[in-house]
Order: sequence, then structure tokens, then C-alpha cells
Amino acid sequence: MPPVLRGENVRKREKITTFVFILPWLLSFCIFVLYPIVFSIYVSLTDYSGLTWNMNFVGLSNYIRAFKDRVFLKALSNTFLFVLITVPATTVISLFLAVLLTSGIRFKRLFQAGYFLPSVISMVVISMVWLYIYSATGPLNMLLRSLGIDVPARSWLASEKTALGSIMVMDVWSAVGYYTVLFVAGLQSLPLQLYEAAKIDGATKWQIFKSITLPLLKPTILFVVSINSIRSFQIFTEIFTLTGGGPANSTQTIVHYLYDVSFRKFEMGYGSAIAYVLFFIVMAMTVLQRKILKGEQL
Amino acid sequence: MKLLVYSLLVLFLVISLFPTFLMFSTAFVPEGDLFNRTIEKIVSDFEAPRTVLLTRVRPIGKAFELVREEQNNFARLDPSREVKGLAFSMGSSDINRISHLIFKVRASSALKLSLCFKDIKENVEEFARLLMEPSSQWKTLRVNIDVKKLKLDVLHVSQLRMTIEGDGTLDIDDVTLVNRYPTFYNFVKVLREDYFGRYLLNSTVVSVCSVLGNLFFCSLVAYAFARKHFRMKELFFSIVLATMMIPPQVTIIPTFILMRKLNLINTYWALILPNLVTPFGIFLMRQYFEQLPLELDQAAKIDGAGDFRIFWNVLLPLSKPALSVLGINTFVLTWNDVFYPLILTTSREMRTVQIGLALYQKLNVFTWPTLMAASTIAGLPIIVVFLIFEKRIISGILEGAIKS
Repeated sequence: MPPVLRGENVRKREKITTFVFILPWLLSFCIFVLYPIVFSIYVSLTDYSGLTWNMNFVGLSNYIRAFKDRVFLKALSNTFLFVLITVPATTVISLFLAVLLTSGIRFKRLFQAGYFLPSVISMVVISMVWLYIYSATGPLNMLLRSLGIDVPARSWLASEKTALGSIMVMDVWSAVGYYTVLFVAGLQSLPLQLYEAAKIDGATKWQIFKSITLPLLKPTILFVVSINSIRSFQIFTEIFTLTGGGPANSTQTIVHYLYDVSFRKFEMGYGSAIAYVLFFIVMAMTVLQRKILKGEQL
Repeated sequence: MKLLVYSLLVLFLVISLFPTFLMFSTAFVPEGDLFNRTIEKIVSDFEAPRTVLLTRVRPIGKAFELVREEQNNFARLDPSREVKGLAFSMGSSDINRISHLIFKVRASSALKLSLCFKDIKENVEEFARLLMEPSSQWKTLRVNIDVKKLKLDVLHVSQLRMTIEGDGTLDIDDVTLVNRYPTFYNFVKVLREDYFGRYLLNSTVVSVCSVLGNLFFCSLVAYAFARKHFRMKELFFSIVLATMMIPPQVTIIPTFILMRKLNLINTYWALILPNLVTPFGIFLMRQYFEQLPLELDQAAKIDGAGDFRIFWNVLLPLSKPALSVLGINTFVLTWNDVFYPLILTTSREMRTVQIGLALYQKLNVFTWPTLMAASTIAGLPIIVVFLIFEKRIISGILEGAIKS
């Protein structure tokens, strides 16, 4: 065999091997990411129900319908409200905890593990426990009553006024530990020399935090805010298990409405349009995050 | 200052752990809830007005003799006047949580007292027979009930019956059934009544397969990204990273349609296949492989090893730390996943434990102790995994987060 040909054979075999190695990803990407994303666009332009195979092209009417649909607009505003309140609250509390944890205390790992525990427990289980906590005769009302505070006669989740707020509190509670761990790592990577210098200059703790820690920690804060926002835009499980979007759609969110429309009312064409609205919101968040983070590094 | 810091830390620790504690401890309560436990169920103290009393207690025999003595009402059994016994109505009760019966007696002469349960199918079974000594004082008796030995339908008991044999009278008061506390029965009940055993099996199968699949396939793909050179490698890799950002809800409807066309709804395949190769796994393993020295591969190549041999025999054994991070993270994510299993399974037998729990609460009349027992069943595996692998789980999060 001429040597040139053999070299080509080897290269060919190399190519095949590489292809075989990345094949699992290629397959999974094409079947479960690329095809669904492209196919969703098409489904969102049809009146596909999900019950039969009938699919009629209806143009952009699903998107137009979404922005006229009161329930969808309510879901949209609830989701934005949810993100705007829980994300800052979670960030502030977890940053505060992280600062406490890195202030040279003992049993740091124990505390950190304790705070982290809620974030590995599934949202369904967490929801069940909080369903009990928020119930009319539950621990929360018992505590409030013993403090002499008037309590609602129904569960906190059964009233339009308190349901969304109650879910927000639960969400902050369950998420804080995760972001605390991120902040602890961020805080520990900050240069110690600056702190030494500031101490020598006689700066107070608050001054050090405000003028050294916060600016240096900005990338971590931005990162935490953006991944938490993306996660919060997708809030579903708590709503599904606790309220089902009620009472009177006061806890309806984008993803829960998507589920309702697609898998309960079987209007998958419309559901796909809602999915795409969510997709654009999350993409916009991601792009915004990239821009801000890049700007930070420059 | 130090004291303030510690007390804040402890306060937050209590807030953070209290719900989990609440779940565990309520799961062992027989009835009621953690703060209002029903341990002693008073069957009757005979203090209610006669008409009310008659709805709960019926005489066995002709009449019902209530006696009042020093502000205290009690019942008198007297075979000579055709009152042979009492039947206490229990509706249709599950008596599995009950540990013993307590009541007060006063016998005028030596008598035999027979204690029975009756179920809704009218089966009567005696669980104790006691010999009463004559006495002028009230005596408190405690009778242990071994539910396992009973042959009647212990889930639907309608009556507790007390009958006497012999001559003389027997006074009875303050009949109380006492629950076992703490009790494991809530777990038994949940596992038996719903399909929680099956749900656990489903979750285990899906999680274990996803973990194994991720460990193998993600490393395989990561090997190509770390060690091979091919066209558009960096483009492909940025696609891998970009897919991490795509919300799973966007892909669910086409995935559902696909699975239905392939007839895979309600199979393990539907739950496992979409999670078999995850971008996070590829990313994590590539990072790890890239910091292993290239000389290792070259030495193996000189020995005549091919790519798969290098991957399997050289790199993988050295990657145990990264593999364990990936394995544990995949397990936690798959075990806790709700959205995909909710949509890709419709039959009860194929539900994972999270869906089973969510629907158990929605579809059943539940009480807090059984709901908390069901929640403990769904949550405990992850809590145990966390307690064992806490360090690796946290480092997995930092790998994924900080580096990206």
C-alpha cells in the first residue's frame, strides 16, 4: 500500500472516531433541542390542539391572542412581580449570610450546609411542608396568634391578597442557601491585602464593605441576579402544587399558564406561542447579562 | 458583636431547618398535627346529654342505664336487667395506629368482660377477655391491642364492643383509645394506599439510568472536545454552553409530540432519553480532562492504545472527583424534576415520586401526618445523599457557576 493512502486512511479513521465520540451529544442536541425549538415555531403558528393530528396554519394569530388574553397578561405581570421582588430579596439575604459566614466564625461549614439543605430538597416536598405551615390551623397562624396578631381564618394560600406573597416568601426561603454558597466562594476569592490596608487606614467595617467588598463582588452579584432571574421566570412547580394558579389567577405565572393551556385545555399551538414569548424573555435576560458582565470586565 | 453574629447565624439556621424538621416530626404523629396531637381518643366519658350520647354509644340488650354519682356520669351494665354490654360507634376507622385501650371499671361481683371490635362487614372479633374482681373502688384498666393479630378488617372498624358474662353489675367510665406515638403507620399507609412504592422504584430507575448515561456519554463527548481536533469544535462547544440557557418549557411541546409519535409516553425511555447527555456534564468533564497532562495519552498511544482505550483506561479512572460531582448533581436534578415527568407520563404506574406526591395531595383527602409521611418518602433520599456528599454537591455548584 502506498504510504500516502495509508496516511489518508488514518485521517479518515480519526475523523470517524471523533464523530463517534461526539455522536451522543449530536443526537441528543438534534432530537431534544434543535428539532423542538424549530418545530415549536411552526406549532406556534398553527391551531394544533394536541388531541388530534390536525394542524392548520393560522399565522401570527396565537401571538396576537396572547397579548389580548387577560389571563396571560395577568400571568406575565405576576411573573415579573415575582422576579422583581424575590430576586433582590434573595440576593440581599444571601449576601448578608455570606458576609456573616466569612467573618471568621467557627462551624462555618456546618452553618453553610444547614442553609444549603432547602435547595436540594425538591420543590414539591417543600411545597407540601409550606402548605401545612400556611394552613388555617398551621404553625404560622399559631405563632402569630400567640403573638396576639390577627390571623386570616383561611389558609394564606387561599386568599387573593396573600397567595402570591406567601409563595414568594417560600421561594426566597428555599433559594437563599444556594446563592449564599456562591457568595461565600466569591467573597473568599477577594484579595486580602486590600482589607489589611483598609484596616490600617482605620476604616470601619461598613466602610470596608461598601467601598471594597461590594465593588469587587459586583461580577458575582450580577451573576447571581441573572441566574436567579432566569430561574424565577420559569417558576412552575410551586404554583402547580400549591395553588394551581388560583385563587382568581392571582398566582398564575407564564409557565403554569403554558402548562394549563397546552396540557389541560389542549391548545398546544397557543401554548407554543406562550413558550416562545418566555423564550424571548429569557434570551433577552441572557443577552443583557452577557453585556453587563462584559462591560464589567472592560 | 461576635455574639450578635452567632445569634443571627443560629436564627437563620433555625428558620432554614425548621420546615424540614416539621416534615419529619409530623410524619410520626398518629392524628391531628404536630402541635395538636391526638394521642388519646376519648371514645366516651358518658358526660354528654343522653340524646347525644345515644348517637355514639348503643346498649347491647334492651336498655341503657346511665348512673349519676358525685357530678360524674357513667354506664352500668347489668345482665339481670338485660343490659349485657355497650357498643361504641367508631364510624369506619383505621385502628392501626392504636396501641391500647384505657377505661375505668367497678364490679359488684366477679364477672367476665369481653372486648371486641366489629368491622363494617359485621365481623366481630374479640381482642381481650378480662376477669373482673369485685371492688367498691374505681379501677383503671389498660388493655394492649395487637392489631397485627386481628383477622377482621382493621382499616374499617365500626364498633368497639364491651359485653359481660356472669351475675352482678359492672360500671364503666372514661373509655379511651390511645394512639401509638411516635408511629410508623403513616408511612405504611401511604405506601399501601397509593403507589408510593412503585413511584420510588420509577424515580430510582430513571435517576440511576440518567446518572449512568450522563457519566458515560458526557465524558465520551467531553473527551472529543478536550483531546481531539475537528472543524467547528469551538462553535459546537459554544452551542453546548448555549443550550444550558434554554428554558426546558420551550422544548416540551415538540418533545411531547415526538414521544407520542414514537409511542414512548408512559415508558422509562421518555423520562431517561432527554436527560441522557446534558450540557453541564459535557462542560464539567471537558474542564477536568483538559487539566490532566497530555503525556498520559501519549504514553498510552506509544503502547498502542486507541482513543477509546485511552478514554476508558487512562482518563476516566483519573477523573473520579469530577465524575462523582456529575453523578450526584444529575441524581439530585433527576430525582427532583417535575416538569418533564408530569407531561411525559399519564398513567399512575409510571409516575415518579415527585409527581406522585403532588397528585396525592391534589386527589386525596389527606391529613397532615400522612401528607408529611409521603413528603418524607419523596424527600428523604435526597436529604441522605446531601448529608453524605454535602462537600461534593457544593463543589459541583461552584464548578458549574463560577467557571461559566
